[in-house]
Amino acid sequence: MDVTNATLLERVDLTDAVAHFRVRADDGPPGFRPGQYMALGLADGDRLVQRPYSAASRPDMDGDVEFLIRRVQGGALTPRLWDARPGARMRVGRPRGLFTLQPDDPRTHLFVATGTGIAPFVSMLETLLEAPRPPRSVVIHGVSHPGELGYRASLEGWAYGWPVSYEPTISRPADPASQGWAGLTGRAEAVVDRVCDEHGLDPADSVAYLCGNPEMIATVGRILAARGFPAEAIKSEHYWPAGSPEVRTSA
Amino acid sequence: MAYVIAEPCIDHMDQSCVAVCPVDCIAGDPADDRKFFIDPDGCIDCGSCEAACPNGAIYRAGDLPQAWTEYAWIDATWFRDPAAARVAVADAAASAA
Repeated sequence: MDVTNATLLERVDLTDAVAHFRVRADDGPPGFRPGQYMALGLADGDRLVQRPYSAASRPDMDGDVEFLIRRVQGGALTPRLWDARPGARMRVGRPRGLFTLQPDDPRTHLFVATGTGIAPFVSMLETLLEAPRPPRSVVIHGVSHPGELGYRASLEGWAYGWPVSYEPTISRPADPASQGWAGLTGRAEAVVDRVCDEHGLDPADSVAYLCGNPEMIATVGRILAARGFPAEAIKSEHYWPAGSPEVRTSA
Repeated sequence: MAYVIAEPCIDHMDQSCVAVCPVDCIAGDPADDRKFFIDPDGCIDCGSCEAACPNGAIYRAGDLPQAWTEYAWIDATWFRDPAAARVAVADAAASAA
């Protein structure tokens, strides 16, 4: 039985191990809300290998959905994704997840991501910036090397023309791959306090979205709670279960 | 190793897990069932359901509390023989009461 319902359009490499994948669903836009994820699947004999990935694109892009994916050596799906050529048939599952924007939320939005966890925030920002008066947004993106800063050009562009502040940070500044980097250094959790101070984030008038590494989410959650963020103003999406190998969006 | 829905789901069936499962491997009929069930052949171990469950009912199979290990069998059985799984759920609920 053919369970495919989508076609791989292209893969655009950021590094050897991180790439954008653009997929076209046969039946038009999957109808997701920014922040939601979908299972991507490839057939392996008579079985379907699936893993969930957050959509990075706008929900209204015809039938195309873009994902930011990290390749994991020995993973069940990602090595096969990298082998797939444009035109390969795939399966895209139904949009899932509760990590979505609150409608018409005027509070300052603090987005904190590690690695490919920036993807749902790009989709969210695309949507937020369509509003006549978008709320202020502050984006912290932690990666190992500058080359892994997915959607850097879009985020830098928004930071010039929109009420968006973009604060990328590099955790391995001494590596040759980070040569020339003049921005923030350290993990995302190490710069949160400083960024909150510099941007004057008021816990009573801010909402935080955290996505990616569960250890970052736990640490940043504690930092924000200590700063006075109420629990309802700290929303999170773990990319793999805490304390377990990276599975959720990387294998 | 799949995730398993244990006793705290019984007579709650909150459905948050169903809303977040990316591969639609959680099922149950609210008209006939007292809990939801995870298909171990479909589960991809993402942990979304565990994080979403407000009742703390979902565990990795290997992490199930000793008293609830039978729910691994119950979940798997529901997808082959729902009637047998329902009897097992009723028995488990009665013995816990």
